[in-house]
Amino acid sequence: MMELTRKPTRQNTVASITGAVVALVVIGSGSPAGGLFGLVGLGLLALGLHRGARLAVDFGGGVLFIGVILGGLQGLSPEATVIGAVGTLLAWDLANSAVELGEQLGRETKTDRLEAVHIVTSLAVGLLSATLGYGVFIFSGAGYSLGVAVLLILAVVFLIAGLRSSEPAAA
Amino acid sequence: MSASDVRGRDAEKGREVMNVKRIPLIVGVAILLVALSILVGFTDLDVTQGFVGAVGLIAIGAALNGFARRRREVETAETTDPEHRTTVPVPGANFSETINQFRTDTYTFATGSRQIIEGLQGAAVAVLTRFEGLSEKEAQRQIETGEWTSDERVAAFLSPDLETPDRPIRSRLAAALDRESSFRSDVRRTTAAIAAIGYTGLEAAAPESIPQYDKESLENVVPRTTAASTSGLALTAVRHTGYWTGVGGLALLAVGLGAVAESPSVVLAGVVAAGYAGFAHIQSVPEPTLSLERTLSDEQPEPGDEVDVTVTITNESRRLLPDLRIIDGVPAGLAITDGSARIGTALRPEESVDLEYTVTARRGTHTFDPAVILTRDLSRASEKEYYLGVETTVTAEPTLKPLATQVPLQPAAAAFSGQLTTADAGEGTQFHSIREYQRNDPLNRIDWNRHARSGELATLQFHEERAARVVILIDARKSSYLAPEPDAPHAVDRSVEAAGRIAASLLDTGDTVGLAALGPVDRTGDRKLDLRNTCWLAPSSGQHHRGQLRSLLASHPQFSTVPPNGRTQWHPQLRLIRQRLTSETQVVFFTPLCDDASVRIARRLGARGHAVTVISPDPTAERTTSQQLARVGRRIRRFDLQRAGIPVIDWKGEQSIDEAVARANSGGTR
Repeated sequence: MMELTRKPTRQNTVASITGAVVALVVIGSGSPAGGLFGLVGLGLLALGLHRGARLAVDFGGGVLFIGVILGGLQGLSPEATVIGAVGTLLAWDLANSAVELGEQLGRETKTDRLEAVHIVTSLAVGLLSATLGYGVFIFSGAGYSLGVAVLLILAVVFLIAGLRSSEPAAA
Repeated sequence: MSASDVRGRDAEKGREVMNVKRIPLIVGVAILLVALSILVGFTDLDVTQGFVGAVGLIAIGAALNGFARRRREVETAETTDPEHRTTVPVPGANFSETINQFRTDTYTFATGSRQIIEGLQGAAVAVLTRFEGLSEKEAQRQIETGEWTSDERVAAFLSPDLETPDRPIRSRLAAALDRESSFRSDVRRTTAAIAAIGYTGLEAAAPESIPQYDKESLENVVPRTTAASTSGLALTAVRHTGYWTGVGGLALLAVGLGAVAESPSVVLAGVVAAGYAGFAHIQSVPEPTLSLERTLSDEQPEPGDEVDVTVTITNESRRLLPDLRIIDGVPAGLAITDGSARIGTALRPEESVDLEYTVTARRGTHTFDPAVILTRDLSRASEKEYYLGVETTVTAEPTLKPLATQVPLQPAAAAFSGQLTTADAGEGTQFHSIREYQRNDPLNRIDWNRHARSGELATLQFHEERAARVVILIDARKSSYLAPEPDAPHAVDRSVEAAGRIAASLLDTGDTVGLAALGPVDRTGDRKLDLRNTCWLAPSSGQHHRGQLRSLLASHPQFSTVPPNGRTQWHPQLRLIRQRLTSETQVVFFTPLCDDASVRIARRLGARGHAVTVISPDPTAERTTSQQLARVGRRIRRFDLQRAGIPVIDWKGEQSIDEAVARANSGGTR
């Protein structure tokens, strides 16, 4: 009988690792400390994808993102930081998706089309927000202070938080 | 809490998705207004370093809080394993029950280890008295002196008087490394020694071949999508997957740190994360309109045939379904042999997707469970679970193919010509004897050769052949759903299959055959057993009867291939069967003989004067000590029945019923 392996699906795993490697290369090129974090994050992510462990995937993504932030603090160019951030979030998203699909449907199941949809939407969201953010940066760099930019971003974040659903715990 | 409660709560949660949180919304709008007013130069609020720093710190705090929530909030649907067959226990799954069947005194209190030793002593006495021909007293004396086995450790373990010999250092070291207590290893060795009694050549089992003490670790398999029957699309749960929980936290963290450190790069990284956080809230799960069509290559296959199943799921709505996860409800009695009953896909409007897989048909009526449909919005932030049911049934009726050999019935008195060759002289085909001619003897029976030789008239006599009236009784109690491997064909399945073959053989030779079962029974409203629905087919013959027999074996609920939920009393059922049996009826009783009740049933039928033949499919295994003991118990029961004059045909797992019966015929059980 065919045995179901409830391990992360392959296509998303490959895409996730690719995203993480891109992020690592970009961060590592400008910031040794960020690169170190990125390496640890990539390792955790790969472990989580190998074992199908969500905790490792989450920590991997988080550590990788801290690597991006450190890179930015160490003076990485905005372009590089944005690409690193997109790579990191893509990797984290797709890794989670791979683990979930593995748990629900299994690695042997045909999931190509679903995974392709995940990869494309995730990449589109990353690139769109990066473009928007970069556009705002160029715009604010032309004379407006960082403070205004921060205020704008915070406004957006709060609006998002307000429009989101109420939490089950609070209900 | 029941499953429906949980679903109810999930549905409530689903309704709250539409709600909004007021405070963050107001704060957000306020900040936006301030920022815009600065931008257009309406106010000249000086955004100082201190202000940015404070905002940043608050943002970092909120970020950590948000990220910490992720751990408790991620929640997704768990899926079952419809690909698998229902599993049944292996005899000896419960060690203490297995050991207790050998204890003679189960009323006085004994500690766990004392119980085990008593049970093993009982088992040793049981096998010694039966297979070595000792009296009970002699067996007990041998156990006390340790004469019964050559293994000193085993002898000392069961004897209260003997000293335990010192183990050699090597084995002690090995035991320490194995971390197996000496008690456990003694239990294992003793059981193996007991199991070896009565067999030749197995006495000196190597220690490696002794079964393990620990239970087998079994996968937890849920073989059905749901036991509820649904037709059409039914929403069962709405979930917040919490998929993106924490990403808003990451965004705030980056924006906050960037603000504090005045680093635009870091703020930009936060913007990217904020983009993902926003994506999580753009959509709600679409309301899918799906249709499912299931086609089978053969709806009435023979048992063992491969049936190809094609499931077509079509998106009937005008909207794209970006995230669909489908698991088909393969019946619990069938296992997938090829292909997959699961798929993950996206469906455009009017588009269909096919699932193709192959199942091996097994005897019985199998109804497909509803398919499970999980659908999510593009961002995967919320999930809806549906059951999509379409009535599909496969019925595999057992083949009534006669056996290659004769069915070993017992010689008994009967009235019609049939398969039974009796010891009485009379009409028949097989030569019996010659007697002196008497008036009115038919001419064709006169031995004319003899007359030509000597002039005397003599009459040939033949063995009289009579039809047997046989009722096949199948033990389908819950305790008979046993198999040597959890997903192997269980004893009830094998019994029913063999019953069909034996019935066919008997019908072909002119006997009349009936069918009865001891199995699960529904209860009426006032908690009484509803015996009207028990399986009973009075002995008869003919084509119509054959058809009835076949359909009863295929689909009577008492012969379900899926184990019943609860135990049922067998006494009232047996009483009813005994009332229905006429006195000269023979009984062929199918039972795995894995509990004492099966022996009692056979003996009670025998005590009523029915000739009983037991055919026992062997479901025992020998991978653990407990299983080995269960096998010893079955051997003892077999022996006891045979000693009581009830022949037992032992049908091993790897044999076909033809082989088992042929072996019994040559062994002379008759």
